[in-house]
Amino acid sequence: MDAATIQNPLRARRFGAVNWLGCAHLLRRQFKSGFADWHYTILGPVISNALYLLLFAVASSSLTRLDPKALVGFIAPGLICFAIAERAFEVSGANLIFEKHHNTHTDWLMAPLTATERAACFAISSTLGGMTIGAAVGLMTLLFARPSLSAPGALLFFAVATGMMHGLIGTLLGIWAQKWDQYTALHTFVLLPLAFLSGVFAPVQQMPEAAQALIRLNPIFYLIDGFRYGMIGEAAADPMVSALVAIGMNAVLFWWVHRWFRTGYRLKS
Amino acid sequence: MSFSPSAPAPVDHGNLGPRRYRTINWVGLWTLYSKEVRRFMSVATQTILAPMVTTLLFLAVFVLALGHAVDQVGGVAYMSFLAPGLIMMAIAQNGFANTSSSILISKIQGNIVDLLMPPLSPLERTVGMAAGGLTRGLVVGIATWVAMLPFAEMPIAHPVFVAYHAIMASLMMSLIGVLAGVWAEKFDHMAAITNFVVTPAAFLSGAFYSAARLPPFWEQVAHANPLFYMIDGFRYGFIGHADGSLTAGILIMLGANAFLIWLTWRLFATGYHLKA
Repeated sequence: MDAATIQNPLRARRFGAVNWLGCAHLLRRQFKSGFADWHYTILGPVISNALYLLLFAVASSSLTRLDPKALVGFIAPGLICFAIAERAFEVSGANLIFEKHHNTHTDWLMAPLTATERAACFAISSTLGGMTIGAAVGLMTLLFARPSLSAPGALLFFAVATGMMHGLIGTLLGIWAQKWDQYTALHTFVLLPLAFLSGVFAPVQQMPEAAQALIRLNPIFYLIDGFRYGMIGEAAADPMVSALVAIGMNAVLFWWVHRWFRTGYRLKS
Repeated sequence: MSFSPSAPAPVDHGNLGPRRYRTINWVGLWTLYSKEVRRFMSVATQTILAPMVTTLLFLAVFVLALGHAVDQVGGVAYMSFLAPGLIMMAIAQNGFANTSSSILISKIQGNIVDLLMPPLSPLERTVGMAAGGLTRGLVVGIATWVAMLPFAEMPIAHPVFVAYHAIMASLMMSLIGVLAGVWAEKFDHMAAITNFVVTPAAFLSGAFYSAARLPPFWEQVAHANPLFYMIDGFRYGFIGHADGSLTAGILIMLGANAFLIWLTWRLFATGYHLKA
C-alpha cells in the first residue's frame, strides 16, 4: 500500500491560506456571548432612544417654532449610528475584559488562528452585533420620523464602518484595560463626549467657527454625517471625504489590533 | 457532675459584657453611614465625575439643538431653565444608584450579613442606608452645579427651596433605591428598573421642557410623576418660576418620604427578601 494513501487520523491538520473552520468557530463563540441576553440588549437601546426622540419632539414642539418632524428626522440617523457604535464597542470590549478576568481568552489564543484571523473575527462579530441593534433602533424611529432612504449604499457602508471602527476600538480597549474601571472611564470620558459632540443633535453649520473646526477633527463626526447622508441626503461634509476618513481609520485600527494580537500584548505573559 | 440552677458561679465579664446602648446605637449608625459613603468615595471617578460629565453633555446637546430656537422659558434663557432640571436629575439618579447597588451587590456577594447582623434596629438601618444615598445625591448635585457655573447663568432666587428639594429628592430616591435593592435578585432586575422606570420617569419629568406649555393631557401625565415636583420646586429655587403648585410639591415630597421611610423600616423589620 502506498504510504501517501494511508489516512492517519492523528496527523496535523492542514489549512489553506485561511483557517475557515477556526474562524467560523470563533465567530460563533463571539455571537453566543454577544447575543446571550439579546432581549435586554435590544430592548434597552430601543427604549432609551425612543425616550430621546420623544424628549426632543416634546421639547421642540412646546418651546420652539421648529418643525418637530424635521428635527427628529435629523436626530434619528445620529441616534441609530450611536446605537450601532455603542453595541459594537460593547460586544468586543466588555467581552474581552470578562474573558480576561475568567481566563477563557486562552480558548482562542490557543486555537490555530493567525492574528489577522482573530482581528477579523472580532471586527465582524462586533459589526454585526452593532448593526442588529442599529436595525432595531431604526425600526423604532419610524414611530417618530418619516421613513427616508436617499442613498442605501452609503447607509450600509457607514453602518458597517461605524460598527467595525467601534468594534476595533473596543477590542483595543479590552486588550489594554486590566480593570472594569479603566474600561468604563475611557468610555465615559473619551468615547461618550466624542459621540455626543459629533453633530448628532444639531447641524454643525449652526455652530460657532471654533466649534466647527474642533468637530471636524472628530472621526465620529464623519461616520454620523455619512450615515445621515445615506438616510436623509443631507451632509455637512463631502460624503466621499467621510468615506475616506472611515476607511483610513478602520485600516489603522485593524492593523493595530492585528499587531497586538500578534505580539500578545497584555494577553500572553 | 451536676449544675445547680440556684447558685450560678459568679462570672466576672470585665469588658466582655454585652454592650449597652441608649435609645439609639450612635456608633453603629455612624459606622453604617461611613461605610456607605466610603463605598462611593473610593470610586469617585465613576460615582461623581462620570455623572457630572454626562450631565454636562446633556446640557450641551440640548442647548446646541434647541437653544437657538427658544426665546425664553419661565422668564429665563433655555440654558438657565435646563440647568437646574439636569442637576436634579443627576441627584435623583445617583441617590437611587447608591442604595440600590449597595444592597444588591451585598446580596449577590453574600456580605449583606454585615448589614443584618450588627446590633442595629430596622429603623437605624433605614436611616443609615438612606443617609448614604442622600449624601451621594447631594455630592453629585453640588459637583454638577459647580461644573455648570462657567456655562450657565444660575442665580439662586430662593436658597431654601433649592436645599429642601435637593435633600427631599435625594432622600426619596435613596429610599426607593433601598426598596429596589431589597426586591431585586439579579443585576438584570436592577437594570430593568433603572432603564424602564427610573430613567423614563426622570426624562419625562419636565426637566427639558416646561410642563405648563404641554397639551392638557400630557400636563396631567407630568403632574402624576413625583419627579416633576422635585424638579419644579428645585428649579423655582433657582429661577423663581414654577410650572406647578409649590405647596403641593412640598407636601408630596414630605408625604412620599414619610411613607417610604415607614415602608423600608417595615421591610427591614420583617427581613423581606433579606433573611431566609
